[in-house]
Amino acid sequence: MTVAVATTGLAACGSSSSASGGRVTLNWYINPDGGGTNPTGGGQAQLAAECSTSNYKINVSVLPNSASDQQTQLLRRLAVGDSTVDLMSVDPAYISQFAAAGYFAPVPANMVSTFTAGRVQSSIDASTYDGKLIGVPFWANTQVLWYRKSVVAKAGLDMSKPVTWDQIIAAAQKTKTDIGVQAALYEGYSVWINALVAGAGGQIVENPSASAGDIKMGLNSAAGREAAAIIKKVATTGVGGPAMGSSEESQALTLFSTAGSSGFMVNWPYVWAALAPGAGNPVTWRNSDLGFARYPETVAGKPSAPPVGGIELAVSKYSKHTALAYQAAACITSVQHQEQYMIGTGNPASSKAVYTMPAILKAFPNGLAALISSSLDAGVPRPLSPYWGDISTGLQEKFSPPNAVNQNTAASAQSFILKVLAGKALE
Amino acid sequence: MSTVSDAAGSAAPAAKRRPVLSDRTKAERKLGWYLAGPAFIIMLAVTLYPILYAIWLSFFNYRLTDPAARKFVFLQNYVYALSDPLFWQTVETTFFIVVVTLIFELVIGMGIALVMHRIVLPRRTLRTIVLIPYSIITVVSAFAWLYAATPNLGFIDPWLHTLTFGLTDPTYNWFGGRWSSLFVICASEIWKTTPFMSLLLLAGLAQVDSSMEEAAKVDGATWWQRFYKVILPNMKGALMVAVLFRTLDAVRIYDNPQVMTGGANDTTTLSMLVGSTTVDRVEIGMGSALAVILFIIVLIIAAIFVRLFKVDLTSTGRS
Amino acid sequence: MIWTLVPLLWIFATSLKSPSVFSAPATSTEFGLFWPKHIYWGNYSVIFTGGAKDLFLPALWHSIIVCVLATVISVVLATFCAYAIARLNFPGKKVILTTALALSFFPAIAMVTPLFNLWRQVHLYDTIPGLVIPYITLTLPLSIWILAAFFQQIPWEMEQAAQVDGASSWQAFRKVVAPLAAPGVFTTAIIAFFTAWNDFVFSSNLTSSNSQTVPAALAYFTGASQFQQPTGAICAAAVVVTIPVVILVLVFQRRIVAGLTSGAVKG
Repeated sequence: MTVAVATTGLAACGSSSSASGGRVTLNWYINPDGGGTNPTGGGQAQLAAECSTSNYKINVSVLPNSASDQQTQLLRRLAVGDSTVDLMSVDPAYISQFAAAGYFAPVPANMVSTFTAGRVQSSIDASTYDGKLIGVPFWANTQVLWYRKSVVAKAGLDMSKPVTWDQIIAAAQKTKTDIGVQAALYEGYSVWINALVAGAGGQIVENPSASAGDIKMGLNSAAGREAAAIIKKVATTGVGGPAMGSSEESQALTLFSTAGSSGFMVNWPYVWAALAPGAGNPVTWRNSDLGFARYPETVAGKPSAPPVGGIELAVSKYSKHTALAYQAAACITSVQHQEQYMIGTGNPASSKAVYTMPAILKAFPNGLAALISSSLDAGVPRPLSPYWGDISTGLQEKFSPPNAVNQNTAASAQSFILKVLAGKALE
Repeated sequence: MSTVSDAAGSAAPAAKRRPVLSDRTKAERKLGWYLAGPAFIIMLAVTLYPILYAIWLSFFNYRLTDPAARKFVFLQNYVYALSDPLFWQTVETTFFIVVVTLIFELVIGMGIALVMHRIVLPRRTLRTIVLIPYSIITVVSAFAWLYAATPNLGFIDPWLHTLTFGLTDPTYNWFGGRWSSLFVICASEIWKTTPFMSLLLLAGLAQVDSSMEEAAKVDGATWWQRFYKVILPNMKGALMVAVLFRTLDAVRIYDNPQVMTGGANDTTTLSMLVGSTTVDRVEIGMGSALAVILFIIVLIIAAIFVRLFKVDLTSTGRS
Repeated sequence: MIWTLVPLLWIFATSLKSPSVFSAPATSTEFGLFWPKHIYWGNYSVIFTGGAKDLFLPALWHSIIVCVLATVISVVLATFCAYAIARLNFPGKKVILTTALALSFFPAIAMVTPLFNLWRQVHLYDTIPGLVIPYITLTLPLSIWILAAFFQQIPWEMEQAAQVDGASSWQAFRKVVAPLAAPGVFTTAIIAFFTAWNDFVFSSNLTSSNSQTVPAALAYFTGASQFQQPTGAICAAAVVVTIPVVILVLVFQRRIVAGLTSGAVKG
């Protein structure tokens, strides 16, 4: 604040990034993470403090909790050309929308290799639009299959080989346990649907860069019907739990923590830290009975397509300090900082080198670090279409409630989404 | 006496004198527009301009993030909106809320008004308690009810469980289904706006001639007969205005369901559909068309009341 | 009557609950999850000095300044307008009243898109004037409406007497009418202020941070992490913004009742 007052001259020119003695303020809009706004909390706020230099100081502003509220907030600022946005933490679900609208400053050609060398492919893909790198891979998320070793032993399932959804559904039925999934009306449900379709070798959107009217979809296909069949089976056999239709990540974790019915779950790596034995945690079996494996296969013999997520960094076109902002992004996403961030928040790094570091191997033991890394390599992102928001909402609506999914769902979802994209239907 | 009849009444002598408009009349007219003009012009500028702009935008296929693809489609957005099942579902949800809240607000509001009308002494206290919900921000009241009805957080489930001697589920998920969600939304609306309703009705009650009621009492009419035959007809004007105001408010309901459910389980209202189309999906053309449809619905309701029930809206209070 | 007080008490009770109460509600609350066993003021420090400070304090300030500005502008304009309607004979007054009424029925959400589109072109997005103007659309028609009703109840014989004594309409207005009208103006101001204070639609859609008001800020509170709900902090902020308004209402209750009813009912 004092800085701003001291440089009213600059502020009057319309710049709210103020400089004092040449030191610029960069505003970074972060999504909420475990560190909050605490500069020593291990999260993005700490990275901001550590990456500030004598040339610039990085300020953080926290965006709302849900990805769609984050999108709305950023979109409004970008649509009005707000020059106070320098850096943004952007969810891959809407990065293409912003890129297509031309809201991002181009990545300097000489930094492209810095931002892509040694990073996982799915993270690079998520930062690419129309063949060009438009963001900086920051952290990369992927889902794995969590299970109870005792349940698997009872069911006689061999986890040393890839398992299919059919196998774990049968195992859960046999042992009267649950499979935690995400099937509430929210983005997480689309993550599941996309992983199932991609696992069967299909694509929900065939030409993601096309304009709304020219989008071609591949949901109404054998792969789409395989995906619908698995969702239907999880729902109708009851292994999805009593409230499958309102289950998000945290509900799935609660279900998985419940003694007696705990069997399987697909979820992100934060589960490992969340189930750590400690005061107030009802789960005491993490170190003895918790197993993890690669995401289940949709079709036997066809390698699964683990869901991927995470956060990319982007620099606003309207920023007055795009070059400095990219410098800051390089610092924030350096290998050391990614390691620190992965330990501080549990959010997996996008740099492959991190997964062999001793501290990471200790925090994600027994091969978990390697599993995350290999899942990221095999992962398939959600379609990188500027219209993914509309597509995703349409998918969630037509696949809800999960126990009403049938062999026609894929076809009806596809025709509905195409109508919405053409402006002929509301959602 | 109403403004309109007042205006007509005083205009009549003026009309007689029309050929020779006195200086005084001219000066009065001039002063009238000097005083009223600025407010009128500003009102039109800040309100009418956005309305006209919304109508203009509604003729386009226009997405905020893709301005290059903006295309004039004339009435196409209206055709698609009016033939869309989701649109009619939001109409259904909205009018369900309107009807349910209106009935309860009328009954409860009338009860409170009758009590306040009769009881003289603790009127101040009554008024205080009644005004509290009115003074609370809608968003705050929505959060209060959201938390109160959330299982394992709010008091509604455990209290109901105790009151029914264990018949109800102590962790019932109110926001898990359409009708139970709408039930909580309606309860919160009723809580928030019944005070306003009861105040309007109280003012109406004050118009009822107490001697007529006394006469009916002497004739041996029961309480219900007196209420139905004497009180209600005599306060019909106030009643209809109250109903109209609340209906028009409820048709536009947004804050409450937006905070509580965000539209989950088919609880999207018309205003929320406008909001999600323009704000979340940035489909400005279609969103504007929906907004215009909503406004037309509001105007139709107002017109029905004015024509059918002869509610004189331009009349403002004058004793 | 408990019905009207319980939700208010509930918000207050919830604002006194510590994060541990939310994770184990059954053992740390009384009266069926209602009242916390241990009173905890931490939520208030969160909004005044803690993590939500940067969101809440500016929002509170914006709420006050935007609502006061919108109220003052509307009431001043409406006072002149309503006086003319109630007192002077000129063509078009029915048009003014009907327009005011029709405009006050326009759904606020429908104005968001055109205003957003316009504001980004003229750089009013996320500014104080950019919010004051839409608030005038809420408060001005309402003020004209209520004030016109008020002014028609004033005994105008005194003004006529003044005019007979040789005073012009303007002098009569200033010397005689203004003192008579003051209570009505004051009441209208309170009601207009409430209406603006209550707004969520405009504030949540036409601001980001530089002019965001409290109702919108409440909806964007975040917990200490993405897995923690900001329930306690929201309730604390809700209590803070509710108390001054409740006090205002209690102090001026008679006038508010008169203002609310005279605007809608034939007297």
